[in-house]
This record gives sequence, C-alpha cells and structure tokens, in this order.
Amino acid sequence: MSTRLIWVEELQLLLGTGSLVLACAVAWLVLDWRLLGLAALVLAAVGLVRAVAIVRAVRAWGYAERERDLLVRHGRIVRRLSIVPYARMQFVDVSAGPLERVFGLATVQLHTAAAASDARVPGLEPAEAARLRDRLAALGEDRSEGL
Amino acid sequence: MTDGAMTNGTTTNAAEPVTRLHPLSPLLRSIRLLLLGIAAISWQGYAELGPVGWLVLVGLVLLCAGALSVVSWWFTGYHVVGRELRVYEGMLWRRTRAIPLERLQAVDVVRPALARLAGLAELRLEVVGAGKTEAPLAFLPLGDAVALRDRLLRLATRTPHVVVAAPGEAADTAAEPPLRVLHTVDNRDVLLGQMLTPQVWSVPFGIVFVGLQFLSENRGWTLIGVASLLTAVIGVVQVPVRRVMQDWGFRAAVAPGGLRLRGGLLETRSQTVAPTRVQAIGVTWPLLWRPTRWVRAVLDVAGYGAQEGQTERQVTRLLPVGDVSTARHLVAEVLPGVDITALPLTPTPRRARWLAPLAQPVLGAALADRVFATTDGRVTRQLVVVPYERIQSVRIVQGPLERRLGLASVHADTAGALRAVAAHRELADARVLAAALSERARAARAEAARAEAPDDPYRPTTAHRVTWPPEVPVTGDDQTPPTAA
Repeated sequence: MSTRLIWVEELQLLLGTGSLVLACAVAWLVLDWRLLGLAALVLAAVGLVRAVAIVRAVRAWGYAERERDLLVRHGRIVRRLSIVPYARMQFVDVSAGPLERVFGLATVQLHTAAAASDARVPGLEPAEAARLRDRLAALGEDRSEGL
Repeated sequence: MTDGAMTNGTTTNAAEPVTRLHPLSPLLRSIRLLLLGIAAISWQGYAELGPVGWLVLVGLVLLCAGALSVVSWWFTGYHVVGRELRVYEGMLWRRTRAIPLERLQAVDVVRPALARLAGLAELRLEVVGAGKTEAPLAFLPLGDAVALRDRLLRLATRTPHVVVAAPGEAADTAAEPPLRVLHTVDNRDVLLGQMLTPQVWSVPFGIVFVGLQFLSENRGWTLIGVASLLTAVIGVVQVPVRRVMQDWGFRAAVAPGGLRLRGGLLETRSQTVAPTRVQAIGVTWPLLWRPTRWVRAVLDVAGYGAQEGQTERQVTRLLPVGDVSTARHLVAEVLPGVDITALPLTPTPRRARWLAPLAQPVLGAALADRVFATTDGRVTRQLVVVPYERIQSVRIVQGPLERRLGLASVHADTAGALRAVAAHRELADARVLAAALSERARAARAEAARAEAPDDPYRPTTAHRVTWPPEVPVTGDDQTPPTAA
C-alpha cells in the first residue's frame, strides 16, 4: 500500500471527527452546556486514538496475487485474511473518492456472488489499480461460472 | 389461451406464440382491494345513496376494475424463445423481461387459497441477483403451470426430453411418472413440533403474568386490556401458526428437474430445486425438540424466496420436522455421499471456552469428502454443510481476544444465507483449514467444469480463444479514475 493512504485516512478522520468536535465546541460556547464540552473532549480523544490506529491499520493492509486466487489481508485489531479465487469473481470495481484523487490513489474491489466476501484493496497507484483490474478481469474470464 | 401473437408491437419472430395468463388472474390478484373498496363505499354510501345509487356505484367500480383487468390481461404474456423465457407486461410502461434458463435457481408452483378454488396456480422463477422473485406468472391453469414448469426445467437442466402427463389432466399431486417420493411428514408431527416452540410456551406465562398485574392493580378486565393481550398472543403465535400452515402435508420427492418439495394448508407451494443449486444445507436441533429427537433441515438456494417488501433472505425447508435418520437420508439425497451423522468433526481447543463458554464443547468443523461442515450452538444445535464447489471465498478472521488465545475463525462464504463458520480454531489449524478449503473448492470446481464441458463446443477455453478485434491492448489508463496529482 502507498503510504499516502495514511494521509487520506487521516484527513477523512479529521474531516469526520473534526467537524463533530467543532460543532460540539461551538454549541458549548454558545449554549454553555458542560455536557457538550465533555462530549467534544471525548470525541477529540477518540479521534486521536484512531489517528494512531490508522497508521498501524494501513500498514497492515496487504495483498498477494497467487496463481489461482487473490489474498487480501487487513486489520490490526481484528485480523482478516481473505482468499478469493479468480474464478469466483463476478465483477471488479475501481473507485477513487475526492480525497483519494487528490493523493492520486484508487481502490480496487473484487466482488463475488457471496455478499460476505471481502476483497478490497485500497490505496493503490492508479497504474497499479488498472493493472490489477485488468489482470483480475483476464483471470476471471478463463473460467466464468457465476455460482 | 394460445390465441395468437400479441398486438403490442413486440417482435415475435419465434415459432412459439405468446401465451396469455388466465383471464381471471387480474381479478384474483386484486380481489382483496376490490372487496375493500366496495366495503368502503358501503360503509357510508349505502345510507346516503339509497339502494339504487349504491348499486350503480358498485357497478361502476366493478366495471372500471373489469376494464382495467381486461387491459392488463391483454398486455401480459410469456413465451419461450430458445433457452430463454420472455415475459411481457404493462400497457403504458411496457416491459419485456428475458430470463436465461441456465441461470434458473428454482421454480415454484404456488397456489393461494382463492386460486385453488379457481383451479389456477402461480409460477415463480427464482433467479440470483433480483431483490424479489423474478417474473411471477400469476395465474395459469394448474395443468399449464405444471407443464410449463417441467418444460422450463428440462430446458434449464439439459436433460433429455422426458414424456410428461398431458397438461390439463394433471391433478393436485402433479402426476408425473418419474416422481419418486422420499419422505412424507406426518401432520401430527408438524403440529406437535410447532407446539414445542418457545413462542407457544411463552403464551401461558404471558397470560398469567398479565392477569396477575390486572388483579394486583384491582382494575379488573378492561376491553382494551383484553384486546391488547389478544393482539400480543396472536403476534407471538403467528410464527408457529404460519409454519404449520406452510408445512402441512409436506412431501419431499425426486422429480426430473431436481428435488420437489411440496406443502401447505391453504396456500400450497411446490418447489423444485436442482441439487447443483443448493448452496448449503442447515440442520437444526432446537432445545424443545430434544425429547422427541427431532430436527429441522433447510436448503439454502441463492436468491431464493425473497418476497416483496421483505429484505431478509430465506431458506427452503428440506424437512420441517423429522428424526435424524430421515434428515440423514434426505441430505444424502441432495448431496450424495454425505452422511450428516458420520462427519469427521474435529473439536476446538479447550481454551476457546473463554470466548464461547457454553458452545465450546459443541463447536466443530469437518473436511469431509465433498463438503465442509461446521457445528455450533449449545441450546439450539446447528449443523451447516457446504459443498466445496459452492464456496465463493474463504476468510480467516482473528479478533483481539482470539489473538490472545492463539485462535482464529475460518469462514466459508457462499452465495446463500447460511453461514459456515469454523469458530475459534487453533491458529495453525485455521491456516491449514483455510488452505485445504480453497484447494478443495478449486478441485471441486474443476471437476464440475469437466463434467459440464463436453456438450458445449462454444465454451471458451484458455487454450484457443479468438480475439476480436485483434491486437487491441486492453490495458490502459483510460478507464482509471482521473487523478489530480
């Protein structure tokens, strides 16, 4: 994974939690409710913890293209390893959110017929994302069977 | 019925003309609404309008409804083109839906109570990917529905032409010569089985509890109190009652297109599921059924039974109630060579007790010859059996507590609703299990592909594939999201 993914995730966190904290703080100043100030503090603390966790979580992402299947590993606290055979692929998504685009990253996601399948590879360089997509599509074609 | 091609401009170049549904269909489908409408008119209108005015109004409503039904009936039809079923509907918003029959998961013949009175049936086709049942053909005369189902199944499964009973004379039992009955469930067992459910058992306690409350507060029985109690009881008992209605007269049989499961008291339903479409089989043994040693077995078929307005995915019952040996027999019929009483289940280490204090002794996983099996649940014992060739992906998940204990869980994902999870295995064991699962799934897929391949000369293979247009590089950045780097 590109280390720029860390920045993307951190910024996302900052935008999400930051705006909440700000709203709470402003409301606290205006309305003078102690509880709101406390909420802002707690939210900020949770945000900080998550900011640290993100660094580790992003480093834990990994994928490997094997001959017949794709391995995707992620998660630091709950560790997950998915083994997805190319033959089971239904379609591949390449997506990039606004923040990801600013940092020049893209996400590849492999979908199978099972909703529980979990094969998402975030934070790829666009060229690498395109290569992975094409490779997955080509490998999936060899034996398409659906269910 | 087959009175010529439709006049709505659709191209009917095939030899087969479009068949319309039974003329009574729109009426049957909207009869409840119609009766409600008339009731609403009568509620206030009768006194104001007088008998003549009321009659005129009801007549008008009926006329409008009749005209609408005729129009909708006229524009609805279906026919089979090659290996595809096409369904035409709608007058203003016209829709033609083509359903490739190779993708058919199951076919149901459903007969609601009213339709049974009229000798009609609804044909439901289950296809993966649709939120609800695709193309319910409601309603057809029973004989036609049965004949069409058999025909679709023949086309879908590529079995050679089988002579079926002439349409029209087929009775409720769907009389086909090669039907082999596997098991019939005794209605007494169905009733007793549903009596032995927590819902039913909670009713007397609930009534006593509420009654005591009333007595202690010295308010006596008010109408509202009684009514709300009744509503609550009905709400609680609804599930067992519905099950009894569904499972009444249940019969499992082997028909040409696959397994034929039939049951129902007021609304009868006859389902046909090909064994290759079964994603998983679940066998549950509820606590209250232990004295009678009964189990319930369900089939998991992708995309099945998702009704309108109901997001939760459902499973099909294979055996509503029965003893273990019956379940074993039926499961072996669906998945040959699988014996649910002799699975090589391996236990989890004792330290998994920290995570599953009750269930640890019953947690197990088995790599059998053709299937992956997992067990779970101390109170309601549950067994999930997944054929290797149905596995979509394999996952190892390790939570923080599991990591402390050196354990991990292995999930085998299928396209169905049942989950096969080998919970809390030894980490090394889990890795071996996951590797074995993906390897066996691959081998089973290859096996299935070989079995399927020979009769299709146009099946694309890696060895020789025509590329057209030639030499166009597929790789390129043209389709990647634009970047602002």
